[in-house]
Amino acid sequence: MRGIEGAQEVVKIVVTVSLMVALIFVALWIWPEDQAHPLGNLVSTGELKVAGVTLTGQRLLTIGTAIVVAIVLRFILRGTRLGIAMRAVVDDRSLLKLNGGRPDRTSMLSWALGASLAAVSGVLLASEQAPSVIPLTLLVVNAYAAAVVGRLRSIPGAFAGSIVLGLAISYVGAYTPADAAWGPIALDNLQRAVPAIMLFLVILAQPQVRLRAHSLQRARRPMPVPNQRLAAIGGLVLVATVVGIGSLMSGPDQNTLLKGFGFAIATLSLVPLTGYSGQISLAQLTFTGIGAVVMASWGASGDVFWVFVAVAVCSAVGALVALPALRLSGIYLALATAAFAIFCYWMVFQQQDVMPGSTASVPYLKIGPLEVGSDFGQLVVLAVAFAVIANVLVALRRSAWGRRLTAMRDSPVACATLGLNLMSTKVGVFALSAAIAGAGGALAGRTFVVDDFGLDQSLPITMLAVVGGIGSVGGALLGGLLLGVAPIATTALAANAIGVFRVLQRLGHPGDLGHAGLHGDRPRAHPRRCRSRHRGRLPGLLPLREAIAAAIVAAAALWLAARTELIANWGLFAAVVVLAFAVLPVLPAILPPPGENRRGRVGPTAVWLVVLLAVTALIPWENAIGSTGFRLIAILGWTVLGALTTLGILGLDPTGRLNVSGASPDHIGLDSSLGDAEAMVAAAEVGVDEELLSVPTPVALEVLRGGGDR
Amino acid sequence: MSGVTVRFGGHQALTDVSLGVDEGQIVGLIGPNGAGKTTLFNAVCGVVTPSAGSVRIMGRDVSNLNTHRRARLGLGRTFQRLEVFSSLTVSDNVRVGVEIRQTWERRGTTARQFLATDGNLPVDAEVDLILERLGLGGLADVPVGSLPTGQARLVELGRALGARPSVLLLDEPASGLDDPETADFGRLLTDLAGAGLGILLVEHDVGLVMDVCEHICVLDFGSVIASGDPEVVRANEAVVAAYLGAGT
Repeated sequence: MRGIEGAQEVVKIVVTVSLMVALIFVALWIWPEDQAHPLGNLVSTGELKVAGVTLTGQRLLTIGTAIVVAIVLRFILRGTRLGIAMRAVVDDRSLLKLNGGRPDRTSMLSWALGASLAAVSGVLLASEQAPSVIPLTLLVVNAYAAAVVGRLRSIPGAFAGSIVLGLAISYVGAYTPADAAWGPIALDNLQRAVPAIMLFLVILAQPQVRLRAHSLQRARRPMPVPNQRLAAIGGLVLVATVVGIGSLMSGPDQNTLLKGFGFAIATLSLVPLTGYSGQISLAQLTFTGIGAVVMASWGASGDVFWVFVAVAVCSAVGALVALPALRLSGIYLALATAAFAIFCYWMVFQQQDVMPGSTASVPYLKIGPLEVGSDFGQLVVLAVAFAVIANVLVALRRSAWGRRLTAMRDSPVACATLGLNLMSTKVGVFALSAAIAGAGGALAGRTFVVDDFGLDQSLPITMLAVVGGIGSVGGALLGGLLLGVAPIATTALAANAIGVFRVLQRLGHPGDLGHAGLHGDRPRAHPRRCRSRHRGRLPGLLPLREAIAAAIVAAAALWLAARTELIANWGLFAAVVVLAFAVLPVLPAILPPPGENRRGRVGPTAVWLVVLLAVTALIPWENAIGSTGFRLIAILGWTVLGALTTLGILGLDPTGRLNVSGASPDHIGLDSSLGDAEAMVAAAEVGVDEELLSVPTPVALEVLRGGGDR
Repeated sequence: MSGVTVRFGGHQALTDVSLGVDEGQIVGLIGPNGAGKTTLFNAVCGVVTPSAGSVRIMGRDVSNLNTHRRARLGLGRTFQRLEVFSSLTVSDNVRVGVEIRQTWERRGTTARQFLATDGNLPVDAEVDLILERLGLGGLADVPVGSLPTGQARLVELGRALGARPSVLLLDEPASGLDDPETADFGRLLTDLAGAGLGILLVEHDVGLVMDVCEHICVLDFGSVIASGDPEVVRANEAVVAAYLGAGT
């Protein structure tokens, strides 16, 4: 956790959530769900009768422990230096540091203390309830519902909160029998929704967070503005790929991929919300669910009109949820959306009128006389929808509104002092995001079950969006597809693999390692980054036109090979694909034609390419992934990641431009008083050739800096 | 503003502070660290809520308005600890200021303009004009995150100008600038005031404050201990003891 101290709230929350998902995976791996692990009571003897209530020894132990822990905790927090330091970390971390405190160590101890207390509660709970991994993890909602009563700060408040919560759960359980109903609304699941309801209500009662000036002190890595032309090309490639691979897939696989694409669109909805504007929502799949349900119950004909209705409903619900929740920020906002997700799961999706038989069958799309008649057709529709929405989002990012969202993420207080109504801007982006997520559900064209829309599904979506690169459309595709298609264990594994790739990708940028994926926003004293704005031939890469032609020919050949089931050795096949798409294009950079200089970091890149090829050939593709179609998708994804990583190690950014952040002044032995940007300006002033400026290799920089000084 | 008092818990950060900035006037606000200068700014902008007193912009009581409403009435500010949009470029920072202003200006709120423009400039032209006036023209496409502090402060100023305020609160805008740059900056402030902008300047560079300000207010421990013309303040013994003496 050290790496994210001082990072944005979003990053902290997402890292914590990812950790949680990863631990769930580890837990399921160590203790498979199909094996029971019975536990005895810690204290098996002794009973006490107080006023007609029987207390077992176990319960007495629980109550006693709670009291002792509360008293000790209060003493630690109020009476010891450590406790005071812990509270100081929350108030003002830098002030504590200035006063000789050690915020890093203090935070670590806080984490340790919190984790141990949670472990104690786990031990005590184990004999009362039969714990299984996911429900136990989601107890965190109950815990927050209680702790928020004390505004996450007061022990008596948390204690009171937990007693109120416990009583509420018991009373609601007692007064709502299995067939209880309120009008047409079945209340049999009300008991399970109580913690979420309480959490939501208590959070809404919190006073508005006040704007804080300089709450963030960090130099942020400039986020490249996405390129509209690249996005359009990407969309076309995506649709072509889906047509190609979809036609190779069996029926059930196509149906699974429908879910994958529905979820990919839901993940896409996080791009404007979290990526652009820094807001957080853990309820995106709830909106997908609402979209699916609206389509299934009203628009059973599949008419496109109902897609728009579904989108409008989601957008309105999104705005309604956001309106009260957005007075809050960070952790409270995340909790409020999580509570909303749980509430909808138990109280909306479980209603027989809403999802009959706990399923929702979303019809195929129909536009006027045009009717989609198969999973494959719907798959193409979804791919087109994804490509269109992605392109709209890219255009949005480049518009005035997109700039404003980014500005709001960087400094809300500055936006307010410019006259921006933060509230309406946030509600707007929330509504947009909910609408996109809803479209994913309404267009999915398959049958969903209730469990597709639980909080435990929404959490990994947020995580995968960040791992895949939040704010990037491609990341959303990767994340959503993974979650929709693969079981959660595989998802976690794949997410880790992607993380490794992204770290490797950053190796080409020394001093920049902290920026890999999740850890995206570590402070840097003097960010030195300045990209060439020069467009044209990618240095050291195949010329673009030829590369595209070669890629089309190669793709057609691969499709034929897969179609005719020529492929016998999948490891070899994968290696060939990687060779064709990830290795060959960069070869000219490593082995330059005579008369041209080598560019970038040649040694490490060569090593990496060999490792990549070897690993690709050794992965047991055929055993790991049963169906041909998914195997192809996995190999393609692997290849793309491999290619991006290669570019990263070589020192190029994903669009193929040379990235000079790797050229640290120490590295080339120069005075570091000038930043790259300043060096560029200085060079422009002394009249250095524009062409030279556009290729700031280390050598060029050396010339520039020398030119500026001498 | 008048009688502004701000309390944080038991600590009284500001006690009954009153001061005003007229059109075209530059008022300096000086005082030792912790005197409450930034808190005063936050109270004026609505970032903190005073426990007593009122804030008026052009005669209108804005004490109960949100930060963004006050901004729309013509209040602009910069920050002591930088609040630039560091993932955007220099020109995009300023552009966001202009674009945000356009969203609310279209809704009928009038804002006074002070740049010598006809008021209906295309966004690009207005951004270029501001960058040029601040001497940032050559840095338009540079990410703000890679700028040194002094220039980033200018970007903040440019962004605030994009919103066309009538009163501008500047929180240590010259820290991070070297001497010639500070002199240029002083001229820029005088020009802005000459165009009718009221400026409240918090600055540790006493030389700059003495040069450009018509009126100076000295804050210590949350109270005004002296105010008046630069000469008067310079001669005031309490000020010398509290602040200037310690500095020199």
